[in-house]
Amino acid sequence: MASEDELMMQDATDDGESFDDDFYSGGDARDDSDDDDVMDYDFIDNDSDDSDTALAHHRSQANYSILNEADIRKCQEESITKISTVLSIPRVAAGILLRHYNWSVSKVNDEWFADEGKVRRIVGLLENPMPLPDEEELTCGICFDAYPRNEISAAACGHPFCLTCWQGYIRTAITDGPGCLMLRCPDPSCSAAIGVDMINKLANDDDKKKYNRYFIRSFVEDNRKTKWCPAPGCDYAVDYIVGSGSYDVTCGCSYSFCWNCTEETHRPVDCGTVSKWILKNSAESENMNWILANSKPCPKCKRPIEKNQGCMHITCTPPCKFEFCWLCLGPWTDHGERTGGFYACNRYEAAKQEGVFDESEKRREMAKNSLERYTHYYERWATNQSSRQKALSDLQQMQTVHLEKLSDKQCQPESQLKFIIEAWLQIVECRRVLKWTYAYGYYLPEREHAKRQFFEYLQGEAESGLERLHQCAEKELQGYLDAEGPSKEFNEFRTKLAGLTSVTRNYFENLVRALENGLADVDAHGAYSRAASSKSVGGGSIKGKGSRGKGTTSRSSSSRNIDDTGHWSCEYCTYANVRSATACQMCQQRR
Amino acid sequence: MSGGIARGRLAEERKAWRKNHPHGFVAKPETLPDGSVNLMIWHCTIPGKAGTDWEGGYYPLTIHFSEDYPSKPPKCKFPPGFFHPNVYPSGTVCLSILNEDSGWRPAITVKQILVGIQDLLDQPNPADPAQTEGYHMFIQDSLEYRKRVRLQSKQYPPLV
Repeated sequence: MASEDELMMQDATDDGESFDDDFYSGGDARDDSDDDDVMDYDFIDNDSDDSDTALAHHRSQANYSILNEADIRKCQEESITKISTVLSIPRVAAGILLRHYNWSVSKVNDEWFADEGKVRRIVGLLENPMPLPDEEELTCGICFDAYPRNEISAAACGHPFCLTCWQGYIRTAITDGPGCLMLRCPDPSCSAAIGVDMINKLANDDDKKKYNRYFIRSFVEDNRKTKWCPAPGCDYAVDYIVGSGSYDVTCGCSYSFCWNCTEETHRPVDCGTVSKWILKNSAESENMNWILANSKPCPKCKRPIEKNQGCMHITCTPPCKFEFCWLCLGPWTDHGERTGGFYACNRYEAAKQEGVFDESEKRREMAKNSLERYTHYYERWATNQSSRQKALSDLQQMQTVHLEKLSDKQCQPESQLKFIIEAWLQIVECRRVLKWTYAYGYYLPEREHAKRQFFEYLQGEAESGLERLHQCAEKELQGYLDAEGPSKEFNEFRTKLAGLTSVTRNYFENLVRALENGLADVDAHGAYSRAASSKSVGGGSIKGKGSRGKGTTSRSSSSRNIDDTGHWSCEYCTYANVRSATACQMCQQRR
Repeated sequence: MSGGIARGRLAEERKAWRKNHPHGFVAKPETLPDGSVNLMIWHCTIPGKAGTDWEGGYYPLTIHFSEDYPSKPPKCKFPPGFFHPNVYPSGTVCLSILNEDSGWRPAITVKQILVGIQDLLDQPNPADPAQTEGYHMFIQDSLEYRKRVRLQSKQYPPLV
């Protein structure tokens, strides 16, 4: 732990420059701004404890907005007003048009001004409304009964129907679902649209409410730039500026999800991998692999059979009842003394030697391996998921109970304890990232040895870094919670935890970036990394001061360039030297 | 859903039909053994159109109305096994205007349904097959198909 403390102190006392030397902080132009952010953050962190505002700012992005129901209504009304004004048409008609073109104001404008007549025909907006036939008594087109004029109603097309039949027609449509928003006149040859004005005039209150609900939903669901928050019970929608970069959004309910695929946020893994992974977790494919690995199909009826004991003489279950040899899958009637007796099969041995069975055996073998491999990653993925859930509930507990208690015990205002919440938020976030690195690892091709090695190193470091933070936020904090009175060391604890939080955040941000980048830096240094097989060499040495001049040194600032295993990495060439060496064994630079 | 207007509407349909209906067609509500009339099931006959392979056949069709009629379309059935690409093996007719999700409108009358089905007989819709035999034959072997249709028309001679 000595080196870590050293590292922590360094972070807490140094200015931001130290971060330039931190492991794998990138160093190309894109990262520079980030380093600045970290510097700012770190600076504030040392000055005061109200760092969370800076952090929130650091994380928030302005490429989306959260809409509650009132906001949605307002946006919808605004769109309708726009179209209604520009096209000089009634609001009802504007609503029908917008819905038809998925609430895209510009699309409605384009189509309308390109060919108004065509749009009117498609959508069912008549240019010249027809009055009801000029008769005292009219026949309803549905029940065929005659009614006085005032008990008959019609849409713009003038087809007469009685109020009861209208109500039945509208109610049926609304009961059938959101299709009611596209309702047309009941007359089979007529395409006149039935808008919200008719609904309001003819439907009962319940149906009106439902219709209204569908209308609002349509604005979110049919719109290309809005989506509902997928969290259970959440009524917010997220309005996203399409094509504006990161898809990660955090809803007003605090659930974070990927706007593109609406799964929970999954950086550094892309949407395609996530859906593959989720499908893999849920789908039958693993079952299939298991069946493949552990069973053989009956040669006659093809049902999979698992052999759990006994001899090679297999009798398939009724109705098949086929008797065969497990090894060669031939009929048992061919077996006996001359084929090696009942416990072995010479046919099989001979065939195997000739290579006849190799392929299917190989496939079974591979399936078995792939199943074990998948299980490895899945277990770790799932464990981090549950750790994250636990951390979330710990965070809640912290906010609702412990913080107040701690504030009492240590005589600190709660506003001065926000660094603890910060730490827990970071733990939750790290668990999330770590979880997805396992999906990443699963799909990282086996043959890319250098990348895999580097990836596993990064993942391992991430894990131990997080463990350090978690330990500090959980165990050490507990000490101050259980203390009798204010502890002298509390301020030191504050510095340590805040420092660990910021170091871990930095590490994970870099990790995410590196993985999103497809570990591109490894390619240039593949040979290098193969040579550097020991973990102690450190990621930085793989990355090194690359030929493109973008690499940075790993932990190379002189005060903390000794890693856990006692190696020190050369400031100049990043080579990992044994502790006893006073000059770099690679480039002879003095330590 | 439309509050029991089914029977009223069907009574009106019946009246309109008696006043005027296309030649050769039959449509009448079922008569129960006790002599009462069940308006919810109609027994109909559709004549094959003159000048087509269907000519000479008088095809029995049963229309089943539900309490939701006319909000929901009725179900129209030929005898099970009826040969036509758009008739299910059960005899149920597959036609856009009889589909509540697409073509059905409450103002479609029994007359329009029957005439619509008569049109369908000679103009099958290959985009919407309902039975394998009729569909495959229609697509692959039109000579055989026409032979089969003409044979079927003989199986449904006029009732009188």
